[in-house]
Amino acid sequence: MAEVPSTPEPIQRLIEALHRLPGIGPKSAQRPAYPIPRTSEQEALALTEAVMDVKRRIRLCSVCLNITEADPCGYCSDDRRDKTVVCVVEQPLDVLAIERSGGYKGQYHVLHGVLNPIEGVGPEDIHVRELVIRLQAGEIQEVIMATNPSLEGEATAMYVQRLLGPAGVRVTRLARGLPSGADLEYTDDVTLARALEGRREI
Amino acid sequence: MSTRPRSYNTEGVVLRRRNLGEADSIFTVFSPTEGKFDAIAKAVRKPKSRMRGHLEPLTRSQMHLAHGRNLDVFTQAETIAAYLTVRDDLDRLTLAVYCCELVDRFTVDRAVQAELYDLLVDLLEALDAGAPLTVGRYFELRILASTGYEIQLSRCAICGGSIPEGETLFSVGSGGLVCAGCRGSAGAGRLISVRAIKAMRFATGATMGQFAGLRLEAELEAELQRALSEAIRSVLERETNSGRYVEALAGPLQRPVHEAPGDVQ
Repeated sequence: MAEVPSTPEPIQRLIEALHRLPGIGPKSAQRPAYPIPRTSEQEALALTEAVMDVKRRIRLCSVCLNITEADPCGYCSDDRRDKTVVCVVEQPLDVLAIERSGGYKGQYHVLHGVLNPIEGVGPEDIHVRELVIRLQAGEIQEVIMATNPSLEGEATAMYVQRLLGPAGVRVTRLARGLPSGADLEYTDDVTLARALEGRREI
Repeated sequence: MSTRPRSYNTEGVVLRRRNLGEADSIFTVFSPTEGKFDAIAKAVRKPKSRMRGHLEPLTRSQMHLAHGRNLDVFTQAETIAAYLTVRDDLDRLTLAVYCCELVDRFTVDRAVQAELYDLLVDLLEALDAGAPLTVGRYFELRILASTGYEIQLSRCAICGGSIPEGETLFSVGSGGLVCAGCRGSAGAGRLISVRAIKAMRFATGATMGQFAGLRLEAELEAELQRALSEAIRSVLERETNSGRYVEALAGPLQRPVHEAPGDVQ
């Protein structure tokens, strides 16, 4: 950012650190950085400690790879949850989304990524191998692929199906169809074709 | 003030998508009338977006764009063909993505190459209609030819002499087949079989449909694949992402598990 030479060096460093976070552009990084000199030392410390606390205390669950403080995580150690079904998602945030829906009481597996042929992200770059190992214990009977209905998510689902299908595990895919409040007129062909395929009696 | 219209229509195939900020995405599109270009779709990652499904990679769409300061902005998009069969099969999907990456790497922004666009659409349609995966080899040969790297298959690439029937040196650095007498002056290369030479010669005069009708044995198919991906790598001076991905899919999960799964990477 050579066009703002008047920015003091410490602020510049903070801006650059914020800018490295996902979803933060150069402008959105400046906005929280400039007011920092006016905040109390307490508030500044609280921020740094909160960041460090996350880094020190949060780890990946050794079973499902979700982010957690206790290992195994709350979902994996909860005996009331179904141990025979595992829902495979791309990111920890997807676990929250599925929990919010309230319709699922099984296990999770977080891949921390998705196969992306366009960018060259292969099976070695995401946590698929851990899923295969989990299945070897024999308790899991169904794997629900809950990756996004994008090209990358579909590629991942098909890959996992190909990997696990021959082992006799039931691999299922989330239904694809119209979102609530959608406009049929603006719906793309793929979604509409899938919605027709997956239609149900009412 | 310029008098150019504020917006324009074009059709195109979406080659790739990159996310931008909270909810926007940048799409790379290859169009028969505009060439390859990047454009922004605003709020396309929000669930209520009307354009999202029409701009997935590998979709052929009719698009309406407004000129922007840096990048143009999509205002409407409607699918022409979504190639559902391609999306439902991992091998077809991977090949289609590989061909899209080739188009992306062999073209420069806003250079119109209508012939190459037709080739890409032909490929997607053929794959969607169930053509064998060998059409990928046809695509590789044709994209090399249409971007100025045609492989010399009829005469020696160095002396112009005739090529006697038999195993012949295939040297990408020299431009194609090299006769026995010129081998010393050719760079690195590989020997290829008569059958492979014939298949490639056939491809230069055939349509994609005719080539798809050719029954290639697995061994010959593998030979062509090795020779052509080497040619592509040599021209691009790099590996393709999707090429590496294909290799990763072929040898899945060979490495030991990450030592400490408890560590956040």
